[in-house]
Amino acid sequence: MADTLVEAKNICLTYHEPTAETRAIENLSFQVNKGEFVAIVGPSGCGKTSVLSLLAGLMEPSEGEIRIYDNKRPGYMLQRDHLLDWRTIEGNIMLGLEVKHMATPENRAYALALLATYGLSEFRDHYPRQLSGGMRQKVALIRTLATSPELLLLDEPFSALDYQTRLRVADEIHAILRSEGKTALLVTHDISEAISMSDRVLVFSSRPATLKQEHIIRLSGENTPLGRRNAPEFKDYFDMIWKELDSYEETAAR
Amino acid sequence: MKKQLPDNCSKEHAAYLQAIARKNRFVSCARYLILIGFILLWEAFAHTGLIDPFIFSSPSRIWNTLLRLNANGELFRHIGITLFETVVGFVLGTLFGTLIAVLLWWSRTLSRILDPYLVVLNALPKIALGPILIVWFGAGVKSIIVMALLISLVVTIMSVLVGFNEITGEKQLLMRTLGASKLQIFTMVVLPASVPTIMSALKISVGMSWVGVIVGEYLVSKAGLGYLIVYGGQVFKLDLVMASIVVLCVLAAIMYYGVAYLEKKLVLWRTHA
Repeated sequence: MADTLVEAKNICLTYHEPTAETRAIENLSFQVNKGEFVAIVGPSGCGKTSVLSLLAGLMEPSEGEIRIYDNKRPGYMLQRDHLLDWRTIEGNIMLGLEVKHMATPENRAYALALLATYGLSEFRDHYPRQLSGGMRQKVALIRTLATSPELLLLDEPFSALDYQTRLRVADEIHAILRSEGKTALLVTHDISEAISMSDRVLVFSSRPATLKQEHIIRLSGENTPLGRRNAPEFKDYFDMIWKELDSYEETAAR
Repeated sequence: MKKQLPDNCSKEHAAYLQAIARKNRFVSCARYLILIGFILLWEAFAHTGLIDPFIFSSPSRIWNTLLRLNANGELFRHIGITLFETVVGFVLGTLFGTLIAVLLWWSRTLSRILDPYLVVLNALPKIALGPILIVWFGAGVKSIIVMALLISLVVTIMSVLVGFNEITGEKQLLMRTLGASKLQIFTMVVLPASVPTIMSALKISVGMSWVGVIVGEYLVSKAGLGYLIVYGGQVFKLDLVMASIVVLCVLAAIMYYGVAYLEKKLVLWRTHA
């Protein structure tokens, strides 16, 4: 089989607050292979984002261990683009390089080449507020890719976009990640988005999050998120995952 | 101001633009008319004896006082001294205020520890410290500058700190996902993002510095506009008092608009596009 890039073994996570402690993740294990696109779906507030924070090294698990077989820091894409208003598009995509003191001419050229490849060159000297929401999210992706991470963590990166833009940007970003040969872990509450973008969907239970089901997605037809939505098997996956999530929501409500 | 209408605009749009221009002209005219009307009425009332020019002064008497002060070189000496004290007090207050705000942003614990002290210092009328300042710094320019500094300092600390803390956690989260240190988060995100807040804090503290300087001059000085006002009041020369206040109005306005201009330059990206 393919090389393993991410390995999470029996991780648990507890949040401490003055009024209570909350078990966010319970005995969670999974792995992600190199070049794979994996989506995590789960009931809202189940601790999906916490998993990404753990992988990004922003938090330490209370128990268990996480291994990333790559010495680079994973790239992280947030719900909103958070482009810095006072920097041009060029300045924004160099942010990660500057932070890591890696803004060498070669790396800068690489970032600008990404900008060119994905059709945003002409906006190089523009300011973020001059760009549409979809373009801004693409710039955010290029900012993430500029430091050439192997693993990308996507935390509902399309949820702030309107539906039309969302489908188009999902398509474009999927294509970019494929052509750059990146490994991606997408967290989303949108079942269709998960199925249309990923090779494998992990279904989490409600809090404390743990892995309930795993679906390998095999769809016939065109391999783009939009094309995949039209595949005959799409609906079956959707119904299956929807029913699973529904049952967790119900048990949680009881 | 005559502006050329865009070539390819509809009749309706042209009418709309003209309506806006008309409204703007009306507002500026009203502004000047109020000032001119006020001056003319004042002068007329003083001339006809409706008000006593000895107590209320009059525009012509104020003008003559200014000319006389200017003739013996006194006017610009007093303006210079007051201006110097205000600028030094303002710059020091802003500098120290911002610096302390940075420290308090850096250490949440320090900020929590010092919070009640700041609240008390903010509530305390700094003028009450006047006598202490005179004893410590002498009856002169130094005391006045310290007074101006104290009055603008606490306001600057509090409003700049609020600005720093307003920068969303998510932008800081983004920086952390990129592996940024706290210093990098501060210099690359928090500080540039707070420029608008810092600038509006400056607008407030400019006014505060003037308050500090004039109060300081009331208490101790031998020169400056505040001194002229107090002296004029004591010897019942209301012309001198009014003339000094007019000069003060002009200076304060110039300094305020100076800061506002700086704000416009620095906050360029806000209006970009």
